Amino acid sequence: MELIKQIIDLIFGPDPELRQIILVTLRMSLFSTLISSILGIPFGVVLGANDFRAKAVISRVVNTLLGLPPVVGGLIVLMLLSRSGPLGSLRLLYTVNAMVIAQVILITPFVIAMTANVVGVSSQSINETLAGVGIGGWRRIKYYLLDFRIPFISIVLAAFGRSIAEVGAVQMVGGNVQYKTRVMTTAIMMQTNMGRFEFAITLGILLLLISFLVNSLVNRIQKATEHD
Amino acid sequence: MIRLNDIKVEVKNRTILDIPELELAKGKRYGVIGENGSGKTTLLRIIAGTLVSNNGQLKGLPSKGEMGYLPQSPYAFSLSVLENVKMAVLGENSEQSAKTALEKVGMGALLKSRGNRLSGGERQRMGLARVLALPRSLLILDEPSSATDIRGTNLIEALLLDWHRESQGTLIFSTHSPAQVVRLADEVLFMDKGRVIERGSPREIFDSPVNEETRSFLSHWKL
Repeated sequence: MELIKQIIDLIFGPDPELRQIILVTLRMSLFSTLISSILGIPFGVVLGANDFRAKAVISRVVNTLLGLPPVVGGLIVLMLLSRSGPLGSLRLLYTVNAMVIAQVILITPFVIAMTANVVGVSSQSINETLAGVGIGGWRRIKYYLLDFRIPFISIVLAAFGRSIAEVGAVQMVGGNVQYKTRVMTTAIMMQTNMGRFEFAITLGILLLLISFLVNSLVNRIQKATEHD
Repeated sequence: MIRLNDIKVEVKNRTILDIPELELAKGKRYGVIGENGSGKTTLLRIIAGTLVSNNGQLKGLPSKGEMGYLPQSPYAFSLSVLENVKMAVLGENSEQSAKTALEKVGMGALLKSRGNRLSGGERQRMGLARVLALPRSLLILDEPSSATDIRGTNLIEALLLDWHRESQGTLIFSTHSPAQVVRLADEVLFMDKGRVIERGSPREIFDSPVNEETRSFLSHWKL
């Protein structure tokens, strides 16, 4: 009970820090998931639905990027966005936008690989059925997107889970700046280092609660789509 | 006349189709028979264009829009049955064309059901409706009633005979049912090890097969 009271106090109390952390976390996770899904799902469909010469090489590159350690992804973005880097003039370092860029680099390969795997299982049968009635090219891709819409929701959800739980890259390019780029994971790390375990645990529970709520929402959407 | 010349398909150094020469007259109904793995599906896929041979020639086919191919296990999309069929038709009347085709295959009451929740036989009938929703001059059907019950089989056969009578189109189908060959085909192509080794009317093939392989295969068939 004491813990619940403490959580409520932190969320609704006079100090806006926790509310700000939650908002930044959601903003970063939602935008990075959205961009990764817009890029990754169509790319994954094209990769999974077609047989072409470069497919094996592209699949290997995507799978290699799946294993990219977040800190390495963060380092690449840091170098690109630092003042002396090629994109330094954009002045994005230590902003939420920089965190979103790092997350997109980390999550997009995951979305592509998952999508290609899901689609690839039935691609031969789908292609043959559609070709049999003269449907090819981009019209074919449209039916892939429609047919796999429910598995795609799960992929987007898994991508959101990855995004909200990431710490290494966002710490590097976001800098954990109070009221600006501090997210729940970086805040947990900082509070733990400072010995404020109660605050860290509270943040951890909130992180789980947000994941649970998002999961429940997506689950409802999936069920509604299945029964329409 | 549809002509296939020097068509050869190899998979991992194994020849699965070898057609030095094959001519199919327009407007006729061809039944392709043979053991599992004899090359029936590969032949149909080559004619339908869903499999491309690196060598040989294929001539005399109608345009893509006039050809309809039904695979043995047609894919059922997780859309409504109506949407599953409508996708094959472009234009303003697509919905009406799809509904008419579905009514013809006896699925008029299932328009709103989910395609991927249908039984195997219903999927085949829905697949046939998808193929027949547009006018076609060539139908290529891979075991079109392998999953249907006797009622569904009768319905499909009657529908194909009607289609042929009305369109005067070419029908090429594979089957494992001797009775279906007799009911539907003008001519039978018997395949063995990727080759068409014998052809003739159903009576000729069943009563007096020339090849030993055909005789041996047909000895297991009971008309």
